Amino acid sequence: MAVIDRMPMLITTSSSDKTQTATGVLLASLVLPGLAALAGMAPVAAAAESAPDKTTVSVKYGRYTDSQPGWDRVTVASPQVYVQAPIAGDWSLEATGVLDTVSGATPRWHTQHTPISGASQMNDQRRAGDVKVTRYFARAAVSVSVANSNENDYASHAAGLEARWSSEDNNRTWTVGLGLSNDSIDASKTGGSGPGGQKSTRDYQAGLTQVLTTHDIVQFNLTRSVGSGYFSDPYKTFDQRPDQRDAWIALARWNHYLEPFDAALRSSYRYYSDTFGVVSHTLGVDWVQSAGPWTITPGLRYYSQSAADFYVDPILNAQGQYDQIAVITRAVKRAGNNQSTDKRLAAFGAVTLTIKLAYAWSPDTDVDFKVETYRQTADWHLGGQGSPGLDPFRANFVQVGLTHRF
Amino acid sequence: MSRWRSLCFEFSAMASPCSLQLDGQDERTMREAAAAAIAEVQRIEKKFSRYTDDSIVSRINHAAGKEAVDLDAETQGLLDFAHSLWALSGGLFDITSGVLRRVWDFKAGKLPEPDALQQVLTTIGWQHVQRQGNQVRLALPGMELDFGGFGKEYAVDRAAAVLLNHGIQHALVNLGGDLHALGERGLPDMRGAPWNVHIQHPRAPAAANTPPLAVLPLARGGLATSGDYERFFTVDGIRYCHVLNPHTGWPVSHWQSVTVLATNTTTAGALTTIAMLKGSEAIPWLEAQGVRYLAVQHDGRLLSQSPMDEHP
Repeated sequence: MAVIDRMPMLITTSSSDKTQTATGVLLASLVLPGLAALAGMAPVAAAAESAPDKTTVSVKYGRYTDSQPGWDRVTVASPQVYVQAPIAGDWSLEATGVLDTVSGATPRWHTQHTPISGASQMNDQRRAGDVKVTRYFARAAVSVSVANSNENDYASHAAGLEARWSSEDNNRTWTVGLGLSNDSIDASKTGGSGPGGQKSTRDYQAGLTQVLTTHDIVQFNLTRSVGSGYFSDPYKTFDQRPDQRDAWIALARWNHYLEPFDAALRSSYRYYSDTFGVVSHTLGVDWVQSAGPWTITPGLRYYSQSAADFYVDPILNAQGQYDQIAVITRAVKRAGNNQSTDKRLAAFGAVTLTIKLAYAWSPDTDVDFKVETYRQTADWHLGGQGSPGLDPFRANFVQVGLTHRF
Repeated sequence: MSRWRSLCFEFSAMASPCSLQLDGQDERTMREAAAAAIAEVQRIEKKFSRYTDDSIVSRINHAAGKEAVDLDAETQGLLDFAHSLWALSGGLFDITSGVLRRVWDFKAGKLPEPDALQQVLTTIGWQHVQRQGNQVRLALPGMELDFGGFGKEYAVDRAAAVLLNHGIQHALVNLGGDLHALGERGLPDMRGAPWNVHIQHPRAPAAANTPPLAVLPLARGGLATSGDYERFFTVDGIRYCHVLNPHTGWPVSHWQSVTVLATNTTTAGALTTIAMLKGSEAIPWLEAQGVRYLAVQHDGRLLSQSPMDEHP
C-alpha cells in the first residue's frame, strides 16, 4: 500500500510534460480526425485552466414596431442589461434592467384607422428591473426574486419563490413555485376615462422535467393563477371587466436531438383557460441548428384564442365600415355590465416567425441577432372565423445582443 | 443556466460499461453534448464492427484474397495509424492478428492444437495488406482486419472531441476503463481538481471491495490500461491471457498490467498494448515515447517512469 501513497505525485496530467513534442505513436495518432484538436487543447501549464467562477454580462438592444394596414402604431426601443454573478460558491445573483421607450398611438376602439379622432398619442418610458438570488444545494436549488416595473401611469411589483430538486440520476427534476404580483394603474393624470385601480395576482406552479432518452427531454408545467382587483382599461370608455380573473395554464415541452443533422427540435404546447372565458392554444416549434461556431434557430409559433364572454364585436354599417356612433350607443345601453372592445380579448389566431442567429466568438463571448415577425388576424382563429371586423395586426421585433463571461 | 452541476451519463457500448461525466452550468448544452458524444461512440462501434456484415471491416474481410475495397477518409486514417503502430512496434502491433481467436477459445479454456495455430499464423501479417490510393486489399484468403485493438480508444477520443465541439470544458469520458479527461473538474467546490481514476489491481477481482492498485489524478489527456486479467484461463497453473503475440501466436506473460497516460487515449491504448507485447523491453520503449506509465510486472513489482520525468 506504500505504492498508493506515492501515486498522487506520480502523475498529474499528461500535459505537465515540459514540452508537447509529439513523438512516435502520439504523432501517428494525430492523423485521426479530431485528435489533433484535442492535443492542441493541452495547456502548457496545468494551472492555466483554474479559472475563477464566471460572471456573465449580457447587453441587448431590441426594437419593436407594430402596425395595422396604413398605420404604424407603436415603436418600442429597449436596451437591456443582464448580469449573473456567482457569490460565495453556493449562491448566485441574477439581475436584469430594461428601459423601454414607447412612442406612438394606442387605439381606443377596436381597430380604428383614423388616428385623428380615435387614438391618443403617447410617449412613455418604462423602467423595469428584477433581481433573483439562488442558493444551491447538492441536488436542489431555491430562488427568491423580486421585480419592479414603472411607467408614468403604471407600476408593477412582483416577488417569487421557486424550489427545484433533481433525482439521484439527475434524469428528473421537480419544481414548485409561488409568484405574487401587485399592479396599479393610475390614469387620472394621463387622460383616462377612469382613475384606474389595483389588482393582485397569485401564481402557483408545479413542474416536472424528465430525461427520456439520450435524445429526448420532456417537461410539464401546471400553473394556477388567481387574480383579483381592477382588470379594466381606464383609457377605454365603457370598458368594464370582472374583478376576478383566475386561470389554468398547462405547458408541455419536448426537446429532441436529431443526430443525423446535429440539430435539436424544440416543440411546445401551451393551454390557457380563464374565468373571462378566454381559452387559448399555443403551438411552437424551433429548429436549433449548430454549424461550427454558428447557431441558427428558425422558429414558428401558432396562437389561437377564443373571445372573452364580455367582448363585444364592432358594429359595421351597410357599407361594411366601422360605425362608431352605433358602437358608442350600444356601449351606453350596456353600461354597468361587463363589456370590452379590447381586441386582445377578441377571437383570433396569430403566427410568429422567428429567426435567431448566434455566433460564438470564443467560448466566453457570443453575439446574437434575432428577427421576429408577428401577424394576427381573425381568419387564423382555430376552428374557423374569429371575431368579425378586426383588421389584421402586424408586429416586428429586432434584437441584437452581446454576451460575455469572465 | 446558472447552477453548476455534474451530470453522469451511463450507457453500454463496445460490450463495455461506459460513462460520460460532465461538469457545467448549461444543462441543456451538456445533455445535447452527451447525446452527441454517445451517438458518435455508437457510430464508430457500428462502422468498425466485425459482427455486422455491411460494416467497412466486414466488407474488407469478405474480400480477402479477392478484390480491393474503397475506403473513406476516416478508415484510411485508422489504417495509416495501424501501419505506424506496426512499424513503430517492430511488427508486434498487428491488426491482422485477430484471426488468432479462431484457435484461442477463452470461454472453453483450452490450449490450441499446434497445427491449427500454425495454420492461422500464416494468415497474419500487416505486410500482406496492400494499400493503393483510397483502396485496401488483403492479399491472403482468410486474412482479417480487426480494429478491436484501438477502436474503443479512438471512440473515447472522438467522444471527447464531440464534447469539446459543444463547448464542454470539464468532462471525463470512460469507455470500459479507457478514459479521456477533457479538462479538470469544474464544480465550484472542486474547481481545478483532477478526476480521480481508480486503477484496478490486476490480481484483485474488480467486483470485490478490494482497494485499487492506485488512484491516479487525471486532469487532461488519455489513460488506458491493458492487463492479463481481462480475459484469460489457467492450465496447469499457467495463465494464458488474451494479449497474443502475432509472431508466435502465444499469450504474453511479462506484465500483469500496464497503464499509460498520453495526450490522447488512442495513443495511450496503443502504448499499453505494445508494452504488454514488448515484455521486458517495454520500459525503455515507453520512456522513449515520453509518456507516463504504471506497470505491474509478472512478480507483482510496480514500475513507473523514472523520477526525473516527474513534474517539478
